[in-house]
Amino acid sequence: MDKKSIIKALFLVTIEIAFFVLFVAFMLTHHTGKTVAFLLFFIFLGILFKQWENARLALVGLFEEMKILAGVVFILMLLAVPFVFQSSPYLIHICVMAGLYAILALGLNFQLGSTNVVNFATAASYGIGAYTSALLAVHYHLSFWPGIVIGGSVASLFGLLLGIPCMKTKDYYLSLVTIAFGLIVYVLLINFSWTGGPNGIPNIPAPSLAGHSFREPLNFLGFSLPFQSNFFYLIFLLVGGALFVAHRLHHSRVGLTWNAIREDEIAARCQGIDVTWYKILAFCIDAFFGGVAGTVYAHYIGFISPENFAFIVSVVVVTMVILGGMDNVFGVVIGAILLTVLPEKFRAFEDLRLLIYGVIVVTMLMFRPQGLFPQKLRVYQR
Amino acid sequence: MKPALYHIRFRARFVKGQRVKAEDFKTKDITDLTKPASLPLPLDGRVSSVFHLIETQQLTIHFGGLAAVNEVDFHMVEGEVVGLIGPNGSGKTTFFNLLTGIYRPTGGFIRYQGENLVGLPAFKIAKRGIARTFQNNRLFLNLSVLDNILIGMHPHQSSNWFDAIFWRRYTERELRTGVEKGLALLDQFGQDLAENCYRRAADLPQADRRRVEICRALASNPKLLLLDEPSAGMSPEETEVLMGDIRKVRERVKGIGMVIIEHDMMVIKGVAERVVVLNYGRKIAEGTFDEISNNEEVLEAYLGREEKDVAA
Repeated sequence: MDKKSIIKALFLVTIEIAFFVLFVAFMLTHHTGKTVAFLLFFIFLGILFKQWENARLALVGLFEEMKILAGVVFILMLLAVPFVFQSSPYLIHICVMAGLYAILALGLNFQLGSTNVVNFATAASYGIGAYTSALLAVHYHLSFWPGIVIGGSVASLFGLLLGIPCMKTKDYYLSLVTIAFGLIVYVLLINFSWTGGPNGIPNIPAPSLAGHSFREPLNFLGFSLPFQSNFFYLIFLLVGGALFVAHRLHHSRVGLTWNAIREDEIAARCQGIDVTWYKILAFCIDAFFGGVAGTVYAHYIGFISPENFAFIVSVVVVTMVILGGMDNVFGVVIGAILLTVLPEKFRAFEDLRLLIYGVIVVTMLMFRPQGLFPQKLRVYQR
Repeated sequence: MKPALYHIRFRARFVKGQRVKAEDFKTKDITDLTKPASLPLPLDGRVSSVFHLIETQQLTIHFGGLAAVNEVDFHMVEGEVVGLIGPNGSGKTTFFNLLTGIYRPTGGFIRYQGENLVGLPAFKIAKRGIARTFQNNRLFLNLSVLDNILIGMHPHQSSNWFDAIFWRRYTERELRTGVEKGLALLDQFGQDLAENCYRRAADLPQADRRRVEICRALASNPKLLLLDEPSAGMSPEETEVLMGDIRKVRERVKGIGMVIIEHDMMVIKGVAERVVVLNYGRKIAEGTFDEISNNEEVLEAYLGREEKDVAA
């Protein structure tokens, strides 16, 4: 390796570590004023990045060139997060919730981003996954690991159930049908006695792997990490898997067909595309992702109630996809992380949360409807 | 209730007023026929079968009280180029929409290679080999040119969501093959298109968009190509290029049948072997270009009739 590439590699690693340090510092501050200062600094960096063409192209080129090194360093930094935050388990909790919402956003991305089906029933699939695995765990002592698959599958079935009436409707009316579905699930969860009614289901057992329960602190390399770290690593793997699946689906005939349906449905029909099948496929895959996230949520918190799966959750996930980027897999993850971390840091503005979500949606749709990170052009290898 | 139509093999047909026996149509090779040359078929060996590529009988669609297409009989064989003309609003695009399954007819039959098309959803009809372009150019605007062509190949590809996640090599191989074929197809219609295949379709000028749309229609290897006003808004030079493209398609795709809706009579005269004229949804004339250009009803439809008596 020649001197130049070593310097470039060091530069890359330094930049990544610098960002990591900034992120950690941002998370650790408690003072609202300092948090705002950090945020403004990040926004300033973002604008600088956008405007300064040469620097941006050079940096992006560098990352492209040393993709593997950048990826490895990034993953190592993520793995180090629980170690860094071991004195404040609350911050690890935020990361876990961000990961859960990232999975939900990735699922919704198939519908909203790829196919332009505005689905407000994410909370329903989230809740169905959670309740299914919770009920099976509490009453039938089903272990967490098959619970993930079962929770996802049952949610997927309900996604199919939702998809069928949606095929008869278009655009706004389809959104109304999904909102109605979400509300129906919410009301049923409150009113059925076997789901625990408004009191929900308490005492959901924690997952355990090789005898180690996830509710216990993780002892590793002499460090005693808070129990949230168990779930952090689990979520890390799940988000990685979700990204993998989403990326592969996007870069395939299926993803291209979904985009065609989004662009022009009639022309898509005339190209031999079975629009109904592909839309229902999007519904089912979205619901599966939601179910998986719901299962992890149920076993993480240990207690679920219908309030956790109200309409507002769907709105938040839709906002994440719109903010992050329609049909950009990494964009929606960043959108999810932003919209989970920022409300937690700005607890002072808790009352204005709904208002801020609304402002974000309206602003993004007016000025940048494709999201912060728009869909990337598909490039094919010969 | 109309009786079911049988295939041409089992039913006697009338051709230009002469009764022709069905048995005479059973031979596959057109040159075998000792039939009179009055058959409206191109007799230069291009046709491999005398069965109609597509035929409609008494095709009708009502929108409310209005019959947009009114009892139209239409037929064509493989390799034929038929022009479909008529004043605006005469039902030409509606006819195309009926053939491709976007509308469902309220009466009449459509047969494609002997198979009934009425009631089939549009995507199944497209899979059987009927492709079309649109009057107002429905490309997938936010996708690249190459993506548009790849979507055109959808009916002949088979990787599904499971393959996309787990059998990656199969999916990639199919995509690669598609990309090769797509670029070869684009190359035939203009090298600049193939070189700039990653341009967003919305950034293309109108003439290029038309060509990409024709390429997309051809990407699915259709047997019947329906072109809806391909030369609308084009300058005379661009129209010449278009006519060249149409002839190129005929040469390179064996046996493809084309129906072209046009308002520009130069295009019709240049490429169409037979012309069908619609007016207010009804077929008012059929024949070669010279025949219909002297047809009184056709002239009246386009130019109007002189008022003989005007009440004072």
